[in-house]
Amino acid sequence: MKHKLVFVFLLLGALVWSAPALAQDEEIVLDFYYPAAVSGPLQEAFERYAASFTEMHPNVSINVVFTGSYGQTRETVRTEIEGGGAGPDVAVMLSVDLYSFIEDGTIISAQQYIDLLEDPQDFVDDFFPAFMLNSVDAEGNVWTLPFQRSTPILYYNKEHFAEVGLDPEQPPRNLDELIEFAELLTNDERDGIQIPLAGDFPSWLFQSFAIAHGQNLVSHDPTEAFLNTEATKASLAAIQELGDRGVMPVGGSAWGDTPTNFIAGAASMIYHTTGSLTFIRNNATFEFGTGFLPSGPPNEDGEGYGAPTGGGNVYIFDNGTHSEAELQAAWEWAVHLASADIQADWTTTTGYIATRPSAWESEALQNLVAEWPQYTTAPAQLQYADKEIATYRSIDVQVMINTVLSDIISGNESDPDLALEIYQEQIDSLLEPYRGE
Amino acid sequence: MTVVSPAAEPRRGKPWLQRALPYLLVAPTLIFITMFTLRPAVQALWDSAHSRPRANQPFAYVGSQNYEDLFNERHFIGRQYVKILHNTLVFTGGTLVVSLPLALLLAMLLNRKIRALGLWRFCVFYPVLLPMIGGATIWAFLFSDSIGLLNTILRSFNLGTVPWLLDPDTVLPSVIAVNIWKQTGYFMLFYLAGLQGIPRDIYEAAELDGAGLFRQFWNLTLPLLRRTTLFLLIIGVTFGFQTVEQLEVMGRGNPANRSNMLLYYIFQLRNEKLNTGHVAAMTVILALILLIFTSSNFFLFERGRHDEKA
Amino acid sequence: MTRRLRRPGDGWRLIGTALTVAFALLWLLPLVFSILMSVRPTRSSIINGNIFFACDLEEEPPGPTVGVGPCWFTGDNYAGAWEVAPWPTHYANSILFVTGTLIVQIPTTTMAGYAFARMQFRGRSLLLGLVLLQIMIPSGILIIQNFAMIRQLGVFDTQLALMLPYWGSAFGVLLLRQTFRGVPLELEEAARMDGANWLQLMRHVYVPLSIPAYISFALISISSHWNEFLWPFIVTRSESVRPLTVGLNKLFHTTDLGANYNQMMAGTLIVIAPLVVVFLLFQRRFLESFAQSGLK
Repeated sequence: MKHKLVFVFLLLGALVWSAPALAQDEEIVLDFYYPAAVSGPLQEAFERYAASFTEMHPNVSINVVFTGSYGQTRETVRTEIEGGGAGPDVAVMLSVDLYSFIEDGTIISAQQYIDLLEDPQDFVDDFFPAFMLNSVDAEGNVWTLPFQRSTPILYYNKEHFAEVGLDPEQPPRNLDELIEFAELLTNDERDGIQIPLAGDFPSWLFQSFAIAHGQNLVSHDPTEAFLNTEATKASLAAIQELGDRGVMPVGGSAWGDTPTNFIAGAASMIYHTTGSLTFIRNNATFEFGTGFLPSGPPNEDGEGYGAPTGGGNVYIFDNGTHSEAELQAAWEWAVHLASADIQADWTTTTGYIATRPSAWESEALQNLVAEWPQYTTAPAQLQYADKEIATYRSIDVQVMINTVLSDIISGNESDPDLALEIYQEQIDSLLEPYRGE
Repeated sequence: MTVVSPAAEPRRGKPWLQRALPYLLVAPTLIFITMFTLRPAVQALWDSAHSRPRANQPFAYVGSQNYEDLFNERHFIGRQYVKILHNTLVFTGGTLVVSLPLALLLAMLLNRKIRALGLWRFCVFYPVLLPMIGGATIWAFLFSDSIGLLNTILRSFNLGTVPWLLDPDTVLPSVIAVNIWKQTGYFMLFYLAGLQGIPRDIYEAAELDGAGLFRQFWNLTLPLLRRTTLFLLIIGVTFGFQTVEQLEVMGRGNPANRSNMLLYYIFQLRNEKLNTGHVAAMTVILALILLIFTSSNFFLFERGRHDEKA
Repeated sequence: MTRRLRRPGDGWRLIGTALTVAFALLWLLPLVFSILMSVRPTRSSIINGNIFFACDLEEEPPGPTVGVGPCWFTGDNYAGAWEVAPWPTHYANSILFVTGTLIVQIPTTTMAGYAFARMQFRGRSLLLGLVLLQIMIPSGILIIQNFAMIRQLGVFDTQLALMLPYWGSAFGVLLLRQTFRGVPLELEEAARMDGANWLQLMRHVYVPLSIPAYISFALISISSHWNEFLWPFIVTRSESVRPLTVGLNKLFHTTDLGANYNQMMAGTLIVIAPLVVVFLLFQRRFLESFAQSGLK
């Protein structure tokens, strides 16, 4: 055993010593893990991107590994590294997992490579700013690159709008209009509006309300969460009102059923992810429109928009054994995945939103938009978008926020104010050890 | 215990082998049980008394703190845990209260000579064959909000619709209904085997004594199937406390954890390694509940057996 | 009708038959509707809001379809569901999982069952108590700790990880112990006189006399592991190792972007059809051996 260790150290020493000389032609294989949250020919697409990457970097090949859902991917990566394994070199994971991995100390910051670029600011500026919010830490260092990102939007049935005398080209712009329109649209056969707040993650669509009411649940500071606020209470009241007026199912609808209900004509308006656009487009037999989420009170322009972002970023891993050349190759591969060409291709393959404006100028996306203008709603809405729930102890904080929101929204909490107070207290006590560092 | 065979005494061959033989025979089983039952149970006990404030920091002994948190109204896990414990009890009890009598009824109905017996038995038994994930997927469709079968039927009679899996008050009964559908056939099989073990002539004798169908059932069938019932009660409770699959498909414990149950909650919280103490405490409590229930029934069961022999 | 009621039981018999048919149909309903759903085009099922009460509203959907009356039927859902996961691989994995578990369980439970039934040794009650512990605390609830064990052993994401926890079966040991105790001692003594060693004793005396117990143990072991979801889900990651149940779960969750129930039903039916056919073929033997097994 000891002999083996000595041998390994000697070997490592030799490698480190000779690395600069070898860097140019060293054969590098990068393990790349990816999850799937949508169906489609994902493996095939990644193989294609890997092939085009190897064409540019002949000494680097990419080993593309499918690792299940987002949750499974995170678990796989963590347990592999914990068990002393190598783990992946690059992986796509939820953007909100950032602080878990920073705390684990298993990822490296992209900032050090961005700083070496000719024009670092230019590189960062070509991503939608809303998508970068979950890539940076409190000091503004970039850790991960936006890859497969989404945001919820409003889908509405134009035929239903026309039927009740609403302008089919004018979706609601604020909460008052949302309620007003929904009341007109509701009848025995259908709900005016369905918002999937009944599933695992009420917090995601709830954030739309919180942001539009002026206070997101999180800020750039990963040691803070803002649950017990006036914005939260006003948002909960708005959701309650939609239910009380009978224009939305009390407690919201189920995630998977909501787009199906929309297609079936059982809901005139829905809140759902841009990822569902392809499914809806393929199955709707009526004209439908898309709009920004009108979740807040009107401002002086009559607008009350707000939305969170979602989806996955590219992470670069290092368990301390990677050579400089390997890390450099991993960075290049991350940049390749986030490039405009691949982002455009990925959007047409999956329905995620290409993460940089330059991708939207590509021919592929121009053609898509020409045929389906609904695809432009999401990137345009990003100006009203804010970051998703990412803090230290992210999973615990998310579970707590989701649990208390689910309790209150479903009418299962007899004392909502007390519940918000308790959960805020609990979240603060969890985050306390991380403050003042 | 009974008299043990003289055959076990050393006879020939190497005496040490004769002495070691029983240990060699039980060793494989015991190794696996130690690895996958004893060791993890001890581990859970240890974990449940420890906690750490941050990842990468060492575990510290916290006594019964984790257990107290579970029942503390002002702790975020405690606020859910009691509700989830309650759900599990209602689910297990609700399933058994309906499915055991129903299984017995079906077993009696299908223990007769009727036409197409095989077909009727198949109809009731086939859910047992399906993986629960598959069965629950079918039911998720039947229950689904606007295009589900149940609501379609309700709507066609103008009765309005019920958001089966979205309403906190209907979700648990819905999940129980699926469980009854799935398990009754299994329970029925054991009752069928039990019924076939009862000699016909007992009933004939009772009939000659003028006992009606209900008296026969009450005085003969039910007491004679007592052991089967006890056995089914034990496995029914053991199954109930390990419910996971339906929940994974039918709303993942939502809304508001009103359909969540003990093992599934453990499963849901497993990813966050900072909660290991609470999750371990939940595991210990779950193990204790099953331990107490099965062992008390086991003794009843054994005693019942002696009564019958006497 | 002038049929004479021969015995007072006749009225009850009629009610009994009616009840039987009613329950059977009620139980069958989900299967019937899942089959119907699986052959209807996605679009019309969704748009009509029901699967066959309102066919008349339909246009012919794209793709190959068959029209029956006003309704359209299609095989598209099966084609779609077939694409979602490598079903033959999942099938092979499930078969490997249940047989691999059983093949090891049989010798381990036979050995321990005999030792506890017929041998006297120091620490016997204590060790039997340890076995009983597994009945009282099913390993299924110790998933978190056992997962850590699988990690330590380095067998995560292998078939071995699926089977290992089940290779010691307290249920099997107790069942065989009970059965072996019913084997007449004289048979064992006679065999020993003939110079039979322990292996021969098992092969020629105990095992042949306990076949029904083995069959029922096999049935229970196979059916419980065949349907198992949570443990395989946790200790595997690759589709090349995962059993059917986990594949089915994927079918359900790839529809997160809009529930395509037609395809979900088709996939579920693909998975359960072979099982149902096997059961139908062996129904009588299955039920009989269950009844004989002494599991009453």
